[in-house]
Amino acid sequence: MIAQLEERITRPTPATPDRKSGDGEGPVRPNVRRPGTDELLRRMRRVDPDAARKYRQRSGE
Amino acid sequence: MQRIIGLETEYGLWIEGLAPGAMVEESRALVRAYQGRYASPWDYSDEDPRRDMRGFSVPQLTRDPEDARFDATGPRYASLSDEHADRILPNGGRLYNDHGHPEYSTPECLSVVDLVAHDRAGSHIVHQCALRRAAELGKELRVYKNNTDYHGAAYGTHECYLSRRSVPADTLIAALLPFLATRQVFSGAGKAIIEGNGRVQSAYQISQRADFVSVDASVDTLHRRPLFNTRDEPHAPDADFRRLHVISGDANMSDWATAMKVGTLALVLDAIEAGCSAPRALADPVEAVKEISRTRALDTRLRSADGSWTTPIRLQRDYLALAHDAPSDLPERQWVLDEWDRVLRDLETDPMRTSDRVDWVAKLELLTRFAEEDGLDWSSPVMMSLDLAYHDISPEDGLQRALEQEGLMLRIADDDAVQRAAAQAPSDTRAFIRGFLVDRHAEAVRSASWSRIEFFAGDDVMEFDTRPLVNGSLARLNSELAVCTNLDETMAVLSRYRASDRSKE
Repeated sequence: MIAQLEERITRPTPATPDRKSGDGEGPVRPNVRRPGTDELLRRMRRVDPDAARKYRQRSGE
Repeated sequence: MQRIIGLETEYGLWIEGLAPGAMVEESRALVRAYQGRYASPWDYSDEDPRRDMRGFSVPQLTRDPEDARFDATGPRYASLSDEHADRILPNGGRLYNDHGHPEYSTPECLSVVDLVAHDRAGSHIVHQCALRRAAELGKELRVYKNNTDYHGAAYGTHECYLSRRSVPADTLIAALLPFLATRQVFSGAGKAIIEGNGRVQSAYQISQRADFVSVDASVDTLHRRPLFNTRDEPHAPDADFRRLHVISGDANMSDWATAMKVGTLALVLDAIEAGCSAPRALADPVEAVKEISRTRALDTRLRSADGSWTTPIRLQRDYLALAHDAPSDLPERQWVLDEWDRVLRDLETDPMRTSDRVDWVAKLELLTRFAEEDGLDWSSPVMMSLDLAYHDISPEDGLQRALEQEGLMLRIADDDAVQRAAAQAPSDTRAFIRGFLVDRHAEAVRSASWSRIEFFAGDDVMEFDTRPLVNGSLARLNSELAVCTNLDETMAVLSRYRASDRSKE
C-alpha cells in the first residue's frame, strides 16, 4: 500500500531554488515565488473583488 | 484494529443574484441535479445527535439565533428525507442537502488513500451537479469547499473514526484535546480574516474553524461549537464501539492535508486505545486554538495544566512519538509517520517550505504574492475574495486547483482514481454492499443508512444489518457479491453471510 501511495503521489516540479532556512523562532516572511504562471495569474485577475462581500451562508454544523 | 474512517463535507453555495435565504431550496435543487443512479430515502432511525458519549442526552442542540430566524420562515417539507433530497450513491456515499449546504459523505474506508480519492470524488460529483444547475438557472453558480462566509457563519467538514468504547469518554477527550488544538499547524486551511462574536479584523490566520471553537467538549454542533464533539452515534455495535465525530477541523483542498489530517488522528487513536494518554494537558485548549491560528507563531508558548510550557510543534512531536511506538493497522502507517516528521521539521525551519502540501501556507504564499504585486494589504476585500477563490471546487476556476495543475501542490488521488471513486465503493468495507445494491438493484432498495439496508424481496422486505460489519476487511464477502448477476443471488450471499461466523473473514 505504501508503494502504491508513493506511485500515486505526483511530486511537483520545484518552481524556485531551495529557500533559505528560517531562524527557528517562528514563521519567516514568505519568500514569494516569482514569476507566477500565466494561468494562475489569469485566474486571480478574474476573481470578482467583491465575491467575499457578496458571499453569505446559513450556518451549518 | 482496522479502523473505518470517513469524511462529511458541507459545501458553500453562491448563486448570482440570489439571497442567502434562497440557498436551502437551491441546495436541494443542486442535489436533485445529480443524474447518476441512486437510491432513496435515507433511513434516519439510528440517528440521535443529542446523545452524548459521556452517558446522557440533551433535550435539544443549541441553535444559532440567526439560523433560527431563517428556519422560521423557510418552506415546510413532507419528511426529513424530502427536505434533504437524499441520494444514496453507487460508491456507497451519500449526497444531500443539509440546511442550505450541499453535503457529501464519503463511503466508509479503511485506507487513507481510498479516503482521499472518495473525498475528492465528492467535490467532482457536486461540481457536476453545479454545472447542470447553473445551466438550468442561466446564472453564475459557485461551490466552495471551505468553512466560513466571512460574515460570521460557519459550516463544517467532519471526520468520522470508528473507535473502541473500552476507552472511557473522559480519557478519550483528555487525550485528544491537545492534539486537536495543535494539528492545525499542518492541517489548517488558512483564512484572510479574523471573525466571530460580531467582530471582524483584517489579518491572515492558520485555521478556518478556530474563530468558531467555543468550548472544550460538547455535543453541540450548530452553535457554541466544541473542539471535541461528544456526539454518540456509533453506527456500529453499541457495546463495543463509538464513532468519533470530529467537527473542529478545516476543509482541506490539498490531498496531502486531507490524508495527514485523518492519518495522524487515526494513529493517535491507535496509541490511545493501546493505553497512551496525552503527552501533557493544555491549560486552555480553546484559547490555544485561537492563539496558534491568529499569531501564526508555531513556536508560541502554550501553558500546560501543570504550569509548564510547550509549543505547538513540540506537542505535535510528542504525539508523533506516541504514534511511532503504538501498534496500528492503518495501511499507510509508515507514510503518515514519515510525512508527519517531515512537515514538523519543515515548519520549524521555514513554514514556507510546506507550500506544496499545507493549505494555509500555499494560500498565504499565493495571496502575499498578489498583494505585493498590486500594492494591497490584508484589509483589502480582494484578499478575502482570493481566499474564497482558493476553495472554488471548479477545476477551471479554483485557485488551489490551478496550483495543482501547475505542479505546485502534491496530489495523492489522480483524476483516474477520483473517477473510479465517484463510481465504485471501496472493495473492503460495508460501503461496498450499499453501493453494489444501489448500482445493480436501486429499484429494490427500500431505504438505507450507515447501519442497515432494507430492500424489497418479492412481497417481503429484507433487512440487512450492517452495524456488525465494521471491524476488519470485508474483501471476501464483497468479492462474492461482485459476481452476483441478479437480486436472488445477492440475497443468497447476504443471507448466508448473515448466518455465518464472521471470524472467517
